[in-house]
Amino acid sequence: MDYYGWMQLLQGAWTTAWISMVSIALGVVIGLVIALIRMAKLPIIDQILGVYVSWARATPLVTLALFIFLSFPSFGINLDKHFSAILCLTLNTSAFNAEIWRNAFLNFSSGQKEAAEALGMRRMTYFRRIMFPQMVVMSLPALVNEMSFLIKGSPAIAVIGVVDLTRVTNRIAAVTYEPLLPILCAGILYMCIIGVLIKLQQMAERKANYLAG
Amino acid sequence: MLNEKIHTGPVETPKTVQETAPVVELPVQYPKSESNAQDIVKVVNLSKQFDGIEVLRDINLTIKKGDVVSILGSSGSGKSTLLRCMNWLEQPERGSIHLGDERIGINPATRKPLKYKELAKIRERIGMVFQSFNLWPHLTVLRNVMEALLHVKKMPKVEAEKIARAQLEKVGMSHKLDSYPSMLSGGQKQRVAIARALAMEPEVLLFDEPTSALDPELVDEVLTVMQSLSKEGYTMVVVTHEMEFARNVSSQVVFLEKGILIEKCPPEKFFTHPDSPRVRQFLKLDGA
Amino acid sequence: MTEWEIIWQQREIFISGFGNTFALFFAGSIASFILGVTLLYTLENGSKGVKGSVILVINMMRTLPFLILAYLLYYGLPQAGIRMDAFTAGLISLSLYHGTYFCEIFRGIRKGLDSGQMEAAQACGFSRFKTFTRIIIPNVLLRSLPLIANQLIICLKDTAFLCIITVGEITAAANSIQSTYFIPLNAFIVAIALYWIISIAIEQVSKITLNKVQDRGLSHA
Repeated sequence: MDYYGWMQLLQGAWTTAWISMVSIALGVVIGLVIALIRMAKLPIIDQILGVYVSWARATPLVTLALFIFLSFPSFGINLDKHFSAILCLTLNTSAFNAEIWRNAFLNFSSGQKEAAEALGMRRMTYFRRIMFPQMVVMSLPALVNEMSFLIKGSPAIAVIGVVDLTRVTNRIAAVTYEPLLPILCAGILYMCIIGVLIKLQQMAERKANYLAG
Repeated sequence: MLNEKIHTGPVETPKTVQETAPVVELPVQYPKSESNAQDIVKVVNLSKQFDGIEVLRDINLTIKKGDVVSILGSSGSGKSTLLRCMNWLEQPERGSIHLGDERIGINPATRKPLKYKELAKIRERIGMVFQSFNLWPHLTVLRNVMEALLHVKKMPKVEAEKIARAQLEKVGMSHKLDSYPSMLSGGQKQRVAIARALAMEPEVLLFDEPTSALDPELVDEVLTVMQSLSKEGYTMVVVTHEMEFARNVSSQVVFLEKGILIEKCPPEKFFTHPDSPRVRQFLKLDGA
Repeated sequence: MTEWEIIWQQREIFISGFGNTFALFFAGSIASFILGVTLLYTLENGSKGVKGSVILVINMMRTLPFLILAYLLYYGLPQAGIRMDAFTAGLISLSLYHGTYFCEIFRGIRKGLDSGQMEAAQACGFSRFKTFTRIIIPNVLLRSLPLIANQLIICLKDTAFLCIITVGEITAAANSIQSTYFIPLNAFIVAIALYWIISIAIEQVSKITLNKVQDRGLSHA
């Protein structure tokens, strides 16, 4: 593998990294919004969101990526492949994050709310100052876990032509005819990225346990 | 009267003839007088440490067939550890424990630890009842009692079920055969656990604080079962806090203090004029 | 002819794709389940070295995307002289990958089991093997039901990756139909619906089983 091959590999890693990061950021926020809406229990919207979550949990990323990238043009919307990739990953991860946030809501002790009400705290203040900060700490381990799942699923976007860290190994091998080395290197890069996330998750778990205990 | 022991006991000649040679004498000394065929469990010069802290120190104890030995002592005195050493759930550093002619845990010829399978063979002959019952939650009451018969003694199912039903009848649990442990009260669980141990026809039954995890009103149903077992002639070693049981049911009372055996005598003596001042203090005999 | 009629005409492609997906999923999950249990046994009774290497492999798999493993088997190994067809490579990578994930699930549940149960088995004279098969495994499996169902759904979804290494499963079927007839919307709606149906079936079976287990008062969930 020559210098050009290594550069390609790093470029692939960068593509995976930035697309994943954008999707993670969007997914965490959209997930929270979905969870908040579902907590309000609006009749029809709640059911629609419930179906969305079930659908997103069951749909493979590869299928979803192809669906988005190939179907939207038939409605006259032409999507860039990177944009499709982000849309696909975000649609998927938002559903999982919504469930994580919702669990944090559902498991929140009502005693604290009563204490806040007894002090005359307003609902919004209670949410912003008391509930939300604790929800973040409680949800963080699961959110970080979902982040590593997203990165592990990100090679799906290769199917629509995004040259990510997995796809790039094919490109390099097409020149060198030696696929083993680039695949192993890509594997090691994934290990590093996701290994860091798993470490972060363990730290977050310790912090969350501290709050629980 | 309660101390009258019928020395018949349940059928307890082990089916396997002891293949091992007579125990090779190790650098340990048996207490001189007590060494005859009636001895079931012999603990010789037993010492055990946990992280450098000595929890048992040079314990000597002989348990004869039909004996009911109560082990008393304040918490942390090492009494549970002593009991758990008797079936090698804890491994002592020094000394030896014998069941009949066999040494537990160590092969006397090679002086190496027994293989797990050999240990299992001896453990079959020792029944154990735990403080926290330790029933298997995925099995019904009947299956809990049958499980070891089927998979340790390799009995046919029909025979195992017959024995299990009989033992559950004995502890008064025949009405709950198909219940799962989670549906039972603590006292019921412990009675099932006793039936599980009895079904194996052990030569000795070890009870590790069998009533300590029970609500006070459930203690009696378990003690009643244990008392009737003692009348049937079972050899029992009971770690307990129940003074009444120790006084009325047992034939020997042993008192442990900081890992040392400081008193061993019949209950009549133990509860009225024990030798050790520490036991007098424990029983509050002096102040009264 | 409407687009849906084309799909109906081409149903053979979908049926064979569904067959492949289901075969991969079914064989893969059984193999990985067995692998997971076997690995748990080695963690239970193996020597220190064996335990260490099993845990190392589990931790490696946890940081790898499934597709990279499939790439390694299908594109990488031929360079080392090991060749297999795409389906075999897919099935093996599916089994290896999810086997370690199953083991990780079981390991977590095993850690939480009350050790008294195992002591009781020991005291009754159970052999190590019998303690594992009669006491540990039933408890671990009953308690990990929801996690097993979740992992099965992930396993099902991972079969879709295999269309990238040319396995003709559901997604590949949809892709081939859409590229011939230019009906991506309909083709992928069918594909997604098929995955959804299998997932819902897995969830329902797990729910029914879980209820039965809870009737016995035996579950963490």
